[in-house]
Amino acid sequence: MTTTKTVVTLKVNGVERTAEVEPRLLLVHFLRDVLGLTGTHVGCDTSQCGACTVLLDGRGVKSCTVLAVQADGHEVTTVEGLARDGELHPIQEGFWEKHGLQCGFCTPGAMMTAVELLRQNPNPTDEEIREGLEGVICRCTGYENIVRAVKYAAERMRG
Amino acid sequence: MKLDRESAGARWIVRPDGCDKVTGKLNFLTDLSFPGMVYGTILRSPYPHARIKAIRTDAAARLPGVVAVITHRDVPGVNRFGIMYPDQPVLCEDRVRFVGDAVAAVAAESEEAAGEALRLIEVEYEELPVIDSPEAALAPEAPRLHPGGNVLHRTHYERGNVEGAFRRCAVIVEETYETPRQMHAYMETEGGLFVPGPDGKLAVYAPTQHGYMDRMQLARILAMPETDIRVVSSPIGGSFGGKDELNIQPYGALLALCCGRPVKIHQSRWESVRAGLKRHPMKIAMKTGVDADGRLLAHRVRILADTGAYATLGAPVLQFATEHAVGPYRIPHVDVEGWAVYTNNGVSGEFRGFGGNQVVFALEGQMDRLAEALGMDAWEFRRINLRGMDDPGPLGQRVAPTDGARHVWETIRRSSLWERRSGRTTDRRAETRLHQRDVSSGSGHVDVRPDNGGSGPAAASFSSPWVRRGVGAAMVMHGCGLGFGIPDPAGGRIGLSAQGNIQVAFGHEEFGQGLLASLQLMIQDLFACDPGDIEIILGDTDRAPHSGSSTASRTTSMVWQALHRLQPHFSRAVCERASTMSGIPVSHLRLGPGGVWAGPERVVRYREIAEKGTEGLQFETQFHFPVTPDAIMGGHYLYTFAGVVTEVEVNLLTGQVTVLGVEHAVAAGPVVNPMGYLGQIEGGNGMALGFALMEDAVMDGSRYVTTNLDTYLIPTIRDVPERIEVYAIEDLPPNDNYGPRGVGEVGSVGLAPAIAAAVRQATGTWINRLPISREQLMRPISTFLHENAPMVSVPDVGKEEG
Repeated sequence: MTTTKTVVTLKVNGVERTAEVEPRLLLVHFLRDVLGLTGTHVGCDTSQCGACTVLLDGRGVKSCTVLAVQADGHEVTTVEGLARDGELHPIQEGFWEKHGLQCGFCTPGAMMTAVELLRQNPNPTDEEIREGLEGVICRCTGYENIVRAVKYAAERMRG
Repeated sequence: MKLDRESAGARWIVRPDGCDKVTGKLNFLTDLSFPGMVYGTILRSPYPHARIKAIRTDAAARLPGVVAVITHRDVPGVNRFGIMYPDQPVLCEDRVRFVGDAVAAVAAESEEAAGEALRLIEVEYEELPVIDSPEAALAPEAPRLHPGGNVLHRTHYERGNVEGAFRRCAVIVEETYETPRQMHAYMETEGGLFVPGPDGKLAVYAPTQHGYMDRMQLARILAMPETDIRVVSSPIGGSFGGKDELNIQPYGALLALCCGRPVKIHQSRWESVRAGLKRHPMKIAMKTGVDADGRLLAHRVRILADTGAYATLGAPVLQFATEHAVGPYRIPHVDVEGWAVYTNNGVSGEFRGFGGNQVVFALEGQMDRLAEALGMDAWEFRRINLRGMDDPGPLGQRVAPTDGARHVWETIRRSSLWERRSGRTTDRRAETRLHQRDVSSGSGHVDVRPDNGGSGPAAASFSSPWVRRGVGAAMVMHGCGLGFGIPDPAGGRIGLSAQGNIQVAFGHEEFGQGLLASLQLMIQDLFACDPGDIEIILGDTDRAPHSGSSTASRTTSMVWQALHRLQPHFSRAVCERASTMSGIPVSHLRLGPGGVWAGPERVVRYREIAEKGTEGLQFETQFHFPVTPDAIMGGHYLYTFAGVVTEVEVNLLTGQVTVLGVEHAVAAGPVVNPMGYLGQIEGGNGMALGFALMEDAVMDGSRYVTTNLDTYLIPTIRDVPERIEVYAIEDLPPNDNYGPRGVGEVGSVGLAPAIAAAVRQATGTWINRLPISREQLMRPISTFLHENAPMVSVPDVGKEEG
């Protein structure tokens, strides 16, 4: 197996990271295996589960559908970069406070998806929250508390 | 008590593991890595049934980067696993029996090299005839899948004289029900890290629901002493019963010992679908009869369960189904027979509800059909047949007295959702809203069902003639623990740690259910301490004692009992130590926040006690889950009860069933952890919704048609109802000292039959097969064009509003 490796430089959670990668390497594997940022998870092979959702230049993407080389020169935020200066992001507070999680495996992706939703719509209705988070599968909670968590975060972020 | 934040008060706490879970700090066992680690992968059979003629691994072993290739020849101990009957080959020798059967495994420096090596392993197969259904397996000419034949387990329970009683019945209902191959679909697929030590020992970091059971099974496979294996089994990214059995552990362990390096395995979703357990698909034939007053007389049940290629817990699942097919009803004449049958399909095993979900769907379907045949209210019909407080259990065994059935029945009867079924609603505001919506859309109303007590609000609450609503409800009686005849040990340890914490250790696992929060609350209750005084150790065979499995709705119950056994010993010993240090008599001392208190003052801190030495301050208990004194295999002693009521909307043009609202009434003793309790019922509800409406791992010719989450559809946030309420009934009979019962499973059982009953009311169609097929409910639009006039009636809004 001979492959031509490519050097990529990404700003991940505010820190510039450079690595030599295979062109076919997915962003999610770059984050998990190369950078050791294991908060981002993989739950399927078909881009259904949303556990791998991260922010690319501030917009939510499923990192299993992006190659690391496509993210070259861009900014990535993972769950590890959500809290700032030791302060939890409101969405993190919401998921913790409102019990929007059980096993926690889908939680990073669910929270990043919610951040994207609130970026587009800071004051979503319940129905809009359900529409915005449809691409994230949680097998534990039954979702009721996830809706509450996102509402909590929306209120906090609106001040 | 409606369970929510308000009613829970101070007991509504945030999860102790929540901060690590929302920051990504929490390492799942599949997130772990180790210096010098290599990657393991498993070669599985491409055929559902074949003879292995040869396995050649030379080319794979020569591939650069490959450090180990193993086959059955490399298994030093017993080449089999299975909690109940170890009949599943770790690595197949001469025959494969399903598409998940493992034939070889590889460890390599990279995942790519490991994957490439799998392709270089040559296996010569000779395909054998495939048994793709239990019926085919039972045919006289069917090939034998195992030396003992194709029947893994047969159950038979009989009382009275069923045939004679049927002759006296006024109404008899006979129906066959079918349930799907539901997949656990935990979001974290199977995986783990296996680290060999320089001393020949092995550390296993892999999710399971019973670390000590994994250790025993691995020791048997590896021919190693159990004490040379450490199993770390917590935390887990979801399990639902699916990770209780071994999955990738044998391969990780064998590869690590073979190459002497840490090995990581993490299955893809497709590998998980292919090799992982599923819920037993069952065909359940029931014939049930009542007398003219509606009293149940006779109940005959035949259960045929597709257990797949290997045993795992197929026998106990069938046993559980046999017991729960009788349910919370008084039936004098009962005859239940069950078969768990081997096929070449995917392996079926433990799954939340443990065979109860399938038979309760059938049993409650019978109750609804009988009530309708009698012209009775479906809930009233259940009432006149409901068990009493001191009745024996479903198999005639003695059980702990319980009035749970009556309590949940009452709660559902009073529910506003149930009242919508017959139009006896008191929720006037909701009605007004619905009417307004109808009026504004300009559509008429439909009188849907002739048998629902008239054109009540449930029937008159939609805007198009092809959109129908209905309300249905179901009862659940669910056994806790493993049942008579199955070892069901429990235990735990408490002690003062060297750092001065109250340290408790259990072999149980945290897989999201909220065990950590439950333990924190119980410990605070018992020792009046601060959360900061507590240290909890879970799921580590080197650090926690035997506690039995974290399954069967038993964990909350068992840790509560363990802590109650340990509390007097620990409190007395700590107070005695504090008495020596402070000179205050023991009788004046008590445990409190941060240490030992006398009156309003803390006189000795835990840390100060620990500094003087903690010897003599550790206590351990071992006991057994409470069992019935009657030797009836699988019979339970403690039960939980649940009533579920739901309202659905059915679109007859698309066949879409939408669940609008659900109420659960659960009787499981005192609520320890309201947040966890509610989470289990809401989560179970979501899983049951999938079981009822969408989930099925379809197989064709014993090969998976459904291979990933693109075609295996599980409920999303848009599929679950916007309104779900949970009512917890905490009452226990006097002298019941068993404390809280677990609620991990009971919330996942009753929704499917409740939905089926609601769909019947909405559409007139009886559901006997899950998931409910849209095709069964869809009607051509011409139906509505031709039947428009007779089906649409003007709403009686004025009269309703009075």
